[in-house]
Amino acid sequence: MSEKPENIDFDAYIRGERPKNFKTASGIELKEFYTQDDVTDRREIPGTYPFTRGIHRDMYRGRFWTRRQQTGYGTPEESNKRMKAVLSAGQTGLNIDVDVVVKLGLDPDHPLVEGDIGLVGTSISTLEDMEKLFDGIPLDRVSTTLIVSPPASCVLMAMYVLLARKRGIPENGLIGTVMNDSFNQLVGPTREAEFPLFPLEGNIKIGIDVMEYCIKNIPRWTILNVNAYNMRETCLRAPEEAAFAMCIAKEYIRKLLDRGFHIDEFASKIAFFTDIGMDFLEEIAKIRAMRRIWAKMLKEEFKAEKERSMWFKTAIQTSGLALTAQQPLNNIVRATIQTLAAVLAGAQSIHTTSYDEAYALPTEEAQKLSIRIQQIIAYETNITKVVDPLGGSYVIEWLTDKFEEEIRKLMIEIEEQGGFIECFKRGWIDERIARGRHEYARRIEEKEEFIVGLNIFEDKEEKLPISISKVYSTEMQKERIDYVKNYKKNRDTSSVKMALDRLYTEAKEGSNIFVSVVNAIENRATLGEICETLRKAYDFELKIG
Amino acid sequence: MSRGKIIVAKLGLDGHTNGIRIVSKWLQDAGFEVVYMGLYNTPEKVIKAMLQEDADILGLSFLEGSHMYYAEKLRELAIRYGIEGRKIVFGGVIPPDDVEKLKALGISEVFLPGTSKEKIISTIRTLLGG
Repeated sequence: MSEKPENIDFDAYIRGERPKNFKTASGIELKEFYTQDDVTDRREIPGTYPFTRGIHRDMYRGRFWTRRQQTGYGTPEESNKRMKAVLSAGQTGLNIDVDVVVKLGLDPDHPLVEGDIGLVGTSISTLEDMEKLFDGIPLDRVSTTLIVSPPASCVLMAMYVLLARKRGIPENGLIGTVMNDSFNQLVGPTREAEFPLFPLEGNIKIGIDVMEYCIKNIPRWTILNVNAYNMRETCLRAPEEAAFAMCIAKEYIRKLLDRGFHIDEFASKIAFFTDIGMDFLEEIAKIRAMRRIWAKMLKEEFKAEKERSMWFKTAIQTSGLALTAQQPLNNIVRATIQTLAAVLAGAQSIHTTSYDEAYALPTEEAQKLSIRIQQIIAYETNITKVVDPLGGSYVIEWLTDKFEEEIRKLMIEIEEQGGFIECFKRGWIDERIARGRHEYARRIEEKEEFIVGLNIFEDKEEKLPISISKVYSTEMQKERIDYVKNYKKNRDTSSVKMALDRLYTEAKEGSNIFVSVVNAIENRATLGEICETLRKAYDFELKIG
Repeated sequence: MSRGKIIVAKLGLDGHTNGIRIVSKWLQDAGFEVVYMGLYNTPEKVIKAMLQEDADILGLSFLEGSHMYYAEKLRELAIRYGIEGRKIVFGGVIPPDDVEKLKALGISEVFLPGTSKEKIISTIRTLLGG
């Protein structure tokens, strides 16, 4: 802030400031202004088909969105402490993230995983771990999202069911979500991330097994959370995020119909996990358009009859990609604007990404501030007192129509090539991502897009004004490795073997494996052993290292 | 000045590839020879690749916090294989406090989030002695 007068560009004051161009982040050209001539007069009421204005007539007047920050790092005990800390700060739902070791279906004692244990989520391997993770958390009163994909989603869901049984909670009392989306195992749907780990068809099949069990046994459980967020964060544009997510959902719907379910038995158990970036108007229009597309798709294409089946429900996370390491306090402002957009878009739950996440997982203090951002919007702004406050804004309605059109165009393009799975296998998705990434980098490098503190208004001699969380600890990692090794030593190996053999046979036969995964865990098999058994049944070898 | 051969890779299980993909292309476009080894490598694998490919620089990307762990492993391996002189650079989501610690472990350069294309390319040129 100690710039010398000779370094200040006084001419800039004469020139003034204005936007560099008049396009949205995804490239839609905006007009000077919009009038009633730009919008279709729909006279739509919130809570009525096609639900552009929201799935509930009373929306936040009836109930605020769920404040659902992701938590999980280190050992299950450490994560449990953080879960309780965020709940006592006023978080209203849990969102459990597991480490990448779990996401890949491995145990901490696997030779290639030591350096990754507990870093970006909690380390879990056994039912005991799950018990420690949820110690003191009432499973029938707090809703929980398990952020995990198949095959590990099957193991964690089975552990959750067993935990409930141990505590005497009936399965129809459980409330929550298992993400269970096969295409976002890690950070986005790239073939290089997915293909070395598990066969794709088997991965999808296991996900469907979990869904089938939950539809039949856990009536209040969300069986699939289509992970649009991770796709978007690979630098895709907003219409691509929406279209890809819709096409993934279509694939799952068809597969569940193939298992003999009626659409109305499961459609209301599918939800989405979407991203909100910095383009305020565009992101709100995207969510409104997704609601309309989902409703029409379910009614017209899949012949749903129940209204609930036509409700597009979404968990929203504010963008991590939008955060800067430079001037990190600016990220509080970014997250606030994005959270506001999520609320104006009608989110069911929100995770506000913390300001320090351009460096590491958030500190407890940063996470608490994220919750406070949501609480300030909920309790102080009064925007919750009227439903869809932006409905009827000429530009919002015009952009919503425009997004519906753009998303549909892309969906048709994907469907004509055989659907999302086929596009993914063929590398079409990878190509879109690669293009998106290079385009994103180019726009920033060439200052076609400005990011304050990064490529405009930089502080040359910046000192980092925040403290950063340190998760990495060789002791924690060693503790986890030793724990799993000991667990494997102190058990009846013959019953473990029998349970895994049964799982192997059922996986080979192609029947639903969920119950035999439950049985394997009861007999003290670990997460890594179960996933390895499934790999063997599918004649697949892990291609890492 | 030689064209400069750079191996880029990710170690362990970290699957974040936005940065490494973008930087690989920048380096390629700038005229360097880039060998992209992608995801899920062990430290042994990349060090051996460095020897086999006779690469000048090894570039590794970290976004999940495992950079300190792997820097220590790489140091042991560099000594074992007698290639302490070869340059290793890191990039990614790395707390600034760790930069000096990484340099003490023999990492030549650490590129933090938001580093410009120009800065990365000029630093690589300097490391190559050009």
